[in-house]
Amino acid sequence: MPLPKFEYLSPKSLEEALQLLADRGEGTHLLAGGTDLLVKMAHGHLKPRAVIALKQIDALGGIRFDPGKGLFIGATALLDEVASHPDVKAHFPSVAYAAQQTANVQIRNMGTLAGNLCNAAPSADNAPVLTAMGAEAVIAGPKGERRVALDRFFKGPGQTVIEPGEILTAVHVPVIPSGFGTSYQHVSPRGKVDIAAVCVGAMVGMDGATCKEARIVLGAVAPVPMRAEKTEALVRGKALTPEILEKAGRQASEEARPISDMRAGAEYRKRMTAVLTGRALKQAAEAAAN
Amino acid sequence: MVLLHIIVNGRGYDLQVGADPHQVDPAHTLAYTLRETLGLTGTKIGCNHGGCGACTVLMDGVPVLSCLTLTVECDGREIVTIEGLSPPEGNDLDPLQRAFMDHGAFQCGFCTPGIILTAKHLLDRNPSPDAETVEEALSGNHCRCISHYQVVQAVLAAAGTEADRDED
Amino acid sequence: MEPFQMIGKDVPRNDARAKATGTAAYADDLKLPGMLHGRILRSPLAHARILHIDTSRAEALTGVRCVITGQDIPQVKYGNWRLFPDTQDEYALAVDKVRFIGDEVAAVAAVDKDTAQEALELIDVEYEELPGLFDVESAMAGDAVPIHDHCRNNTSVNRKIAYGDVEKGFAESDYVREDTFRVHAVSHAYLEPCSALAQLDLDGRITLWTSTQVPYIVQCLLASTLEMRENDVRVIKPYVGGGFGGKMELRTWEFCAAFMAKRTGRPVKFTLNREEEFLAGRRRHPMTIHSKVGFKKDGALVAKDLKITLDGGAYNAMGPTATFLCGNFGAMLYRYPNYAFYGRHVYTNKPPASAMRGFGAPQSLYASEIQMNMAAEALGIDPVDIRLKNAQKSGDKIPDVATISSCGFTESIQEVARMSDWKKKRASLGPGRGIGIGCYSFISGGVFNWFNTQYPFSAAEVRAFSDGTVHLLTMASDIGQGSDTALKQILAEELGLRMEDIRITSADTAMTPQADLGSWGSRVTLMAGNAVVDAARKIKERLFGALSARYNLNVIYEMECREGRVQPKGRPDRGMSFGEAVAMVQKASRGEPLVARGSYTPRDKGLVTPAFGFGAQVAEVEVDRQTGLVEVKKMWTAHDCGTVINPKGVEGQLAGSIQMGLGYALSEQFVMEEGRTLNTNFLDYKMPTALDMPPGEVVHVETYEPEGPMGAKECGEGLASPTAPAISDAVYHATGYRCKDLPITPEKILEGMNAGGKKKS
Ligand SMILES: Cc1cc2nc3c(=O)[nH]c(=O)nc-3n(C[C@H](O)[C@H](O)[C@H](O)COP(=O)(O)OP(=O)(O)OC[C@H]3O[C@@H](n4cnc5c(N)ncnc54)[C@H](O)[C@@H]3O)c2cc1C
Ligand code: FES
Ligand code: FES
Repeated sequence: MPLPKFEYLSPKSLEEALQLLADRGEGTHLLAGGTDLLVKMAHGHLKPRAVIALKQIDALGGIRFDPGKGLFIGATALLDEVASHPDVKAHFPSVAYAAQQTANVQIRNMGTLAGNLCNAAPSADNAPVLTAMGAEAVIAGPKGERRVALDRFFKGPGQTVIEPGEILTAVHVPVIPSGFGTSYQHVSPRGKVDIAAVCVGAMVGMDGATCKEARIVLGAVAPVPMRAEKTEALVRGKALTPEILEKAGRQASEEARPISDMRAGAEYRKRMTAVLTGRALKQAAEAAAN
Repeated sequence: MVLLHIIVNGRGYDLQVGADPHQVDPAHTLAYTLRETLGLTGTKIGCNHGGCGACTVLMDGVPVLSCLTLTVECDGREIVTIEGLSPPEGNDLDPLQRAFMDHGAFQCGFCTPGIILTAKHLLDRNPSPDAETVEEALSGNHCRCISHYQVVQAVLAAAGTEADRDED
Repeated sequence: MEPFQMIGKDVPRNDARAKATGTAAYADDLKLPGMLHGRILRSPLAHARILHIDTSRAEALTGVRCVITGQDIPQVKYGNWRLFPDTQDEYALAVDKVRFIGDEVAAVAAVDKDTAQEALELIDVEYEELPGLFDVESAMAGDAVPIHDHCRNNTSVNRKIAYGDVEKGFAESDYVREDTFRVHAVSHAYLEPCSALAQLDLDGRITLWTSTQVPYIVQCLLASTLEMRENDVRVIKPYVGGGFGGKMELRTWEFCAAFMAKRTGRPVKFTLNREEEFLAGRRRHPMTIHSKVGFKKDGALVAKDLKITLDGGAYNAMGPTATFLCGNFGAMLYRYPNYAFYGRHVYTNKPPASAMRGFGAPQSLYASEIQMNMAAEALGIDPVDIRLKNAQKSGDKIPDVATISSCGFTESIQEVARMSDWKKKRASLGPGRGIGIGCYSFISGGVFNWFNTQYPFSAAEVRAFSDGTVHLLTMASDIGQGSDTALKQILAEELGLRMEDIRITSADTAMTPQADLGSWGSRVTLMAGNAVVDAARKIKERLFGALSARYNLNVIYEMECREGRVQPKGRPDRGMSFGEAVAMVQKASRGEPLVARGSYTPRDKGLVTPAFGFGAQVAEVEVDRQTGLVEVKKMWTAHDCGTVINPKGVEGQLAGSIQMGLGYALSEQFVMEEGRTLNTNFLDYKMPTALDMPPGEVVHVETYEPEGPMGAKECGEGLASPTAPAISDAVYHATGYRCKDLPITPEKILEGMNAGGKKKS
């Protein structure tokens, strides 16, 4: 279908963008790569009055790595840039991997990591591992900048803490402490390239064979990517033996609150939560050891 | 009057933004502008929602979906469509086009422009890919007719690395 | 037999350059001055009476040129089964009722697409909703509302086949089993959405460019629905982006484009969007298949009783053919001495199912192939051996259908078993790994004349020129399968010419000879190929006459066209160039050009098909026993399509079939809720991608089909059948889960394994 008509705005600076956002008010949408926004418009689900493109704002671009402060992924950094960035690959392999696993070549050349988060699909590939790693959204608004950890960022399908008038400017990923490892696991029952039916991100801190710390985030099994806190508690202080991993999996699947939809049934999602949680913990523990 | 400057297949176009028939409306996708305004119908629309890859073009050398790209976002960009890969007459086809012809790497051909352009970028980045790399690169381009066997062979052939796949 | 010059060669496709350079023009690429853009208003309800339609607001919108509803058009019903007017159940736009979500209610033509789209929203339709019938059981229930008034029980077609005595057969069997299978609907998902452009000429005649597999059928039905004479309608098929059975009927937008072009005097184009294609598009028939089979202890088949109910959706479309063919295919592949079939085609309030690659065979053969494996297991016989024991052979007679002529089925089974190392793998693959087999047979075009054409089934005209070139004209439709290339190859072979010596004009009903039934049922190579051979032979007769006169040849000489020359066999010195021979013929008839017409209509070939293709496929899979994910590691195929005319073309057909079979087995399905198709985009309708395609290995089993041109027969559709049963059987081998209701999903596999699917050690 043809796209509905709208006013197109392309500010050059963040200030200008915030101003336009305030001026145009309701019905104004931000455009990053457009791979979610334009699809919704093409299907007639969304008819914005105005669209503010972010790409011309230099300050929102790029990926910066600082060994002390961690990683800053700008709001217009493409999924492909994240997936292929040498520093991301070296220091945040699961972040690169999740970006690499998102969609296909063309979409990764167009879509942004920030857009993936702001779109707030429960299945968003990049949300679980970033959330598990304690990443935070840097949000600019009329009242200045605020930072929100990703585990408090998502409010529901398509909803985040970003208020009207605000713009996410970057995603900040803290440095992975030594002794910690991460993993991203996902399953798509209908083929190798597909939106995930279940996805799991994990970060664990190991002390020898013992798990000191664990953060486990489940995707596509609840309205928002969710922390599996009871599972985290279950593994904390334990050796990650096959039995514990299996228990953890079972616990995670109890915490999951999936629905049945086109991609998978709720029962299958629960089972996969168990399988992927086990796999994620195992892989993260291995990564921690290296 | 807002002007857009877009280079398509090496030729610069200055397009006016506006709602008149000859102008580019902000709601126009690049696919629409290429096909309807510039008459470059080699770019195909299989879905208009990002799902099939038929509308793939190269933007600054990188494959993107022209059905999910607003034309107004292309100011200053360089676009290459299938028509721009080689002049339609004459014999100087791109090696990929040649390989697709030699390998019969299409039936209906509707997916072909998008596939060739995606493959072009792959070979630019990685001149000697293996079959799996080619498959991965083409996973955003649907083909219902021959689904990639001969396509993968053709891409490998164009890269000069036609591998064991031939015998498979 | 003499070796071929052109047949069996990988000559480049006729359209290769056009397609590789993006210059091939498909219907939506065409533009005419003053052209209007059309859009269709579709029903939001599955079943409702139309009480009132108010188009005034739409008509008042600036830029709108024409709005029509069912009340504005000639109320002529149409359908492909013209031989039985009762089966013709569609109006181009709904007249009294809407019968599925997406049914066409009104159409708008406007100066641009946006305006047309906007106008749709201004059409007010008042409906009285009726109960929706969404499955065959409720549609057939005694108190069900009829979906079509003329069809009280909602069963629009019945078909029975019976021979031998099944009851006696079961009584004599050592082993009898009964199973019910359910197979689902899938989409053709051709990449090019349907599109049609109509133009009115100054004499009031219509030209329609449309993305179709059947220009002749569209011409005839368009003429009748427009109440015009057939010859006043010209249908041209531009490049077509795939069809697979989904573009083989007259469709609403074709009618509306033509009707509105007449009304407005301006060209009108309709192009569907993908959402419409998925929401309302044709699809493969879902079927409920109840099958009872009896065997002797040694695995010999004794009897089969097959009952199939087809969920036809709201209109017949090509359902009657599918009903016939699924019954015929139930008795194919193996020798069933006693056979009974009862098929019913049932209306439901869903988008109409129609022809789709395999035309009833993929469904029917899924059930027979799986059931064969279940029986083999119970009888303690290897699946390959039980097939070899019962395989049909050349000369076998299928009562009321045909006598099988060429048949490489046994060789195909042996070949796949050998290639795949079947015996060893079946015995020793590790846990989570499995290997399975599926087989097929398919028709090379249909014989039964349901369209009631008054012309030959296929025709060709060859014009020969003194410059050594020829022009081939045929109504056969190349929709991507490469028939233009194959027909040129056949002609080149017959006349001893090169591909570049032949110009081809195809699929234009005003310019190419009457007629050709279109591209479906794997008919084109055999039927249009035979028509080309027929025309070529007539040309040769004339050329040979001229040669004979020129050299005063003894009448006993055999002559040939070869490498651009016409000559007595073995006496090239007494020959002349093709062009010289043409010039002589032309001189001898005082300038009259050398033209010949050829045709083909099957005669004395029963009611089904002149020739059958056969084949077998083996799949090897690996199943992740935790996630239930299936990875197809490899497919081996051996098939008999008679003489291979263009190897790359055949391989392409095969690859495409595997992709569709893979999707049918594992990932593709329509998600429906109360008659509404929920997955209307490529993200949710999941086709296999390049990464999902398994490596494959193929052997062409050589046979020579006496009825086919140069010995060729079908290869385009049969292979749509074996992939799903082969994968399904491999999944069973790997996990113990036996799928009786497609598709095979990881969820079903895990459940099946839980429910005590036997663990393979
Ligand atoms: C064919 C296809 C396949 C896909 N496959 C996947 C997949 O496998 N996995 C997956 O997770 N996703 C997938 N997606 C979804 C989509 O591509 C991703 O979510 C992508 O990362 C979105 O990024 P974008 O830049 O295109 O977002 P946009 O569409 O530009 O924006 C998305 C939303 O976020 C808002 N937004 C964007 N930037 C900001 C900002 N800086 N501040 C505040 N709000 C903002 C927009 O207003 C919009 O609502 C797929 C999409 C398509 C079309
Ligand atoms: S047309 Fe753009 S992806 Fe299908
Ligand atoms: S060749 Fe037809 S879709 Fe690829």
